[in-house]
Amino acid sequence: MEGRIPINKFGRGHRDKVQQFMAITGASEKAAVQALKASDWHLEGAFDVFYSQPQSKTHTDSRHLEELYNRYKDPYLDMIMADGIARLCNDLQVDPQDIVMLVVSWHMKAATMCEFSKQEFVGGLQSLGIDSLEKFQERIPFMRSELKDEQKFREIYTFSFGWAKEKGQKSLALDTAIGMWQLLFAEKHWPLVDHWCQFLQARHNKAISRDTWSQLLEFTRTVDSGLANYDAEGAWPYLIDEFVDYLNENGVGADGFSRTIGA
Amino acid sequence: MERKVIELDQGWDYMQKGITKLKRILEGSVEQFNSEEYMMLYTTIYNMCTQKPPHDYSQQLYDKYKDSFEEYISSTVLPAIREKHDEFMLRELVKRWGNHKLMVRWLSRFFHYLDRYFIARRSLPALNEVGLTCFRSLFFRQNFDTFCILIQIDKEREGEQIDKALLKNVLDIFVEIGMGQMDCYEQDFEAPMLEDTGVYYSHKASSWILDDSCPAYMLKSEECLKKERDRVAHYLHSSSEAKLVEKVQHELLVNFSTQLLEKENSGCRALLRDDKVDDLSRMYRLYHKIPKGLDPVATIFKQHITAEGMLLVQQAEDAASNQVILSFEFLFFDSQVLIRKVIELHDKYLAYVSDCFQNHTLFHKAMKEAFEIFCNKTVGGSPSAELLATFCDNILKKGGSEKLSDEAIEDILEKVVKLLAYISDKDLFAEFYRKKLARRLLFERSANEEHEKSILTKLKQQCGGQFTSKMEGMVTDLTLAKDNQNEFENYLSNNPNAHPGIDLSVNVLTTGFWPSYKSSDLNLPSEMVRGVQVFKEFYDTKSKHRKLTWIYSLGSCQLIGNFEAKKIEMVVSTYQAAILLLFNTSDRLSYSEIMTQSNLGHEDLVRLLHSLSCAKYKILIKEPISKTVSPNDIFEFNPKFTDRMRRIKIPLPVVDERKKVVEDVDKDRRYAIDAAIVRIMKSRKVLGHQQLVSECVEQLSRMFKPDIKAIKKRMEDLIARDYLERDKENANLFRYLA
Repeated sequence: MEGRIPINKFGRGHRDKVQQFMAITGASEKAAVQALKASDWHLEGAFDVFYSQPQSKTHTDSRHLEELYNRYKDPYLDMIMADGIARLCNDLQVDPQDIVMLVVSWHMKAATMCEFSKQEFVGGLQSLGIDSLEKFQERIPFMRSELKDEQKFREIYTFSFGWAKEKGQKSLALDTAIGMWQLLFAEKHWPLVDHWCQFLQARHNKAISRDTWSQLLEFTRTVDSGLANYDAEGAWPYLIDEFVDYLNENGVGADGFSRTIGA
Repeated sequence: MERKVIELDQGWDYMQKGITKLKRILEGSVEQFNSEEYMMLYTTIYNMCTQKPPHDYSQQLYDKYKDSFEEYISSTVLPAIREKHDEFMLRELVKRWGNHKLMVRWLSRFFHYLDRYFIARRSLPALNEVGLTCFRSLFFRQNFDTFCILIQIDKEREGEQIDKALLKNVLDIFVEIGMGQMDCYEQDFEAPMLEDTGVYYSHKASSWILDDSCPAYMLKSEECLKKERDRVAHYLHSSSEAKLVEKVQHELLVNFSTQLLEKENSGCRALLRDDKVDDLSRMYRLYHKIPKGLDPVATIFKQHITAEGMLLVQQAEDAASNQVILSFEFLFFDSQVLIRKVIELHDKYLAYVSDCFQNHTLFHKAMKEAFEIFCNKTVGGSPSAELLATFCDNILKKGGSEKLSDEAIEDILEKVVKLLAYISDKDLFAEFYRKKLARRLLFERSANEEHEKSILTKLKQQCGGQFTSKMEGMVTDLTLAKDNQNEFENYLSNNPNAHPGIDLSVNVLTTGFWPSYKSSDLNLPSEMVRGVQVFKEFYDTKSKHRKLTWIYSLGSCQLIGNFEAKKIEMVVSTYQAAILLLFNTSDRLSYSEIMTQSNLGHEDLVRLLHSLSCAKYKILIKEPISKTVSPNDIFEFNPKFTDRMRRIKIPLPVVDERKKVVEDVDKDRRYAIDAAIVRIMKSRKVLGHQQLVSECVEQLSRMFKPDIKAIKKRMEDLIARDYLERDKENANLFRYLA
């Protein structure tokens, strides 16, 4: 049972914005807060998010979806490949490296990066209520906002491992992993991400296991950047223990923040 | 006839006369009571109690009975005692108490009828009790000074003679007056006595601790405790012993424990250093009964042994690093000395534990922990496990310890196995031991089969069957190999065509038991090829399904060299023989020619050629002449070689196997950790990280001390291989995946 979010939890400025938002859109307080949070408390952004949300399960026209699929499908395979994706991004006016494409892939439950099966493409768009490029474009701000949601970010993060790794491999290649981490932690700021990537390149040089991948997220969420609450006796993966040692060697840690690190 | 009523005053008057007479008797008069007088007194009481009311005077008589005592005590007894002092007062007290008991006895007889019905009906104390209580409440409660008794006791402590019998009598009063309870004794005597004792010894201790050495202080303490015990036997009540001893111990030993044990130059450390066995035994005796009294002693004991052990280790390390020529033999010598010294240290302190410390577990534990600290240090690059294995090898091989008697050897082996208990990397020891055992067995360097078997039995007892199973297999293999060889020789004599032309003996070893050896691609000399073939044919007749892998690096060969001066028989390794036989076809060969023809690698070749041309016996002449072998060298057969012996052994220095052994053991450990984790998780299903790690460590501790990081790595590997998973809610919890 959902309750009201007590308005007195927020600062004065925020309270004003919530009330303004509610007045203009007629939305409930909860929806207002959600939308504002998702846009970092920028009023205009919040409107975008609010209006691009699927208000209800809108009906999608399956013929339009079929057409859309065929527009981008590879000539020889019954799949949309890298080429088709590039064209789609172009048509959407979105950079193919943009993280929103990751969110799209997540909605589609895509198995591997740079390719969509027909089922993945059609199914994903259906669930988003999209059957045309225009609708697709409209949904993009909403999809970006999903990254701000704690729970959804976690799901997307977890999803990325399976999606980014090579088919048939158990682990994720280091370079790809680093790329993914940099992308993801640009969205959800983690101050130690650069140190982490430098450490991996200097000391590890091997693929990343699923366990390490998922535990790293926990690490970013629970351990502060001063490492004060890091439990060395805990069940952290070995690589993370090594990372902490590396940070301590290089002067990051209990006394505060980073100094410059040599590679 | 109606009895005449006796009025109270009347009757009491009569009684009073009797009482007065009694007092006179107590004061020394020679009067006595005859039976008629006694009867009259008794009857008077009887009558006065059985008269009809209002003339039944039981209550009044009871009260007057009591009053009689009170009056007598206050007016006569107390002053008599009080006017005296010290010993004399005590004597008076004893006398007066004796009197009092008499008085109670007599009066209670006179008044006996009250005891029969009156006191029970009214639930009052009996006459006897009343009498004694009077004395107690009047005398003791009026602050009787236990003080003068205590003065006597302290006098005795200072060495003066006192009247022990008197004190005993006085203290008996305290006990008797309790009428079955010890409360009077405990409250009125014992408590102040204990306090006084505390003060007395506290004083003594404060000055002794400054002036006396630790042994002297301990001697005094022991004396004091003995004297106090004697005191109890002579005049204190036995129930005081435990409390008294505890008090004295507390003041002398507990309060000053730290200062005593830590005394510079004479404290526990110094006693250990100077081997003062008697003093240490005394220390044990004194602190043994005190709760946790032995803990600091055990700690110092442990520290001392650790320091001694570390010193030995350091000496060996220094000797090792000071060697300019760090050849294997030098290092070996010092490590043997080290092990011997450690054994001596062990014997020495084991004796301490059993003699001084009565085999107390605390000291066994201290010793064990101390040894565990320094027995796991690396010396000169060799882990202690290796040093110990080398030591064993030395005792068991020919030329090692032939001067020692069988008993002496058994004894040393026993002690070596005991030392193994302190080494945490037992699996490393096993591997080194196995490698050396293999060499002893294969090159027939074992001095005595009985000793070999004996040490295996000891190792099995200490470490379990699994530890020694492979080694035992190796020993068995050789026994079987002899039988096999006999069969081979029979086969050859039955099939003369099959004879390869050389004398060949083969040891067939079971792969699993022996250390792993890489089989080489040696180009076998033609003379030997046929031999191998023949043996294979023979072996196939015995068992069809076995595969033979030839390890030429372990073989040895006897060659006859036809030198100009005389023929000399040379005992060499198969590899050395292979090279020498090349010179049957050419007198002169270059390094690269030898390499091609023998198909050996650089590492092996350099070593082999060195042993044949640059060492003691120069069978080959090397051009250019130098101390080392290089790929540009040319080798020529040396016909002028000779030696005064007819038979020589050309040794091949052993390759340092340490690195390989450590690698092999690390690999085995990874499997062992995996197996332990899976075993634990399979039975527990769900387990927290900390617990899993600690159970793992415990399970593996019999063989080695696993590194926590290594365990973590294996756990992650098992997660990746889907044996385990982390719990979704709690990342510190792990689940077994069937």
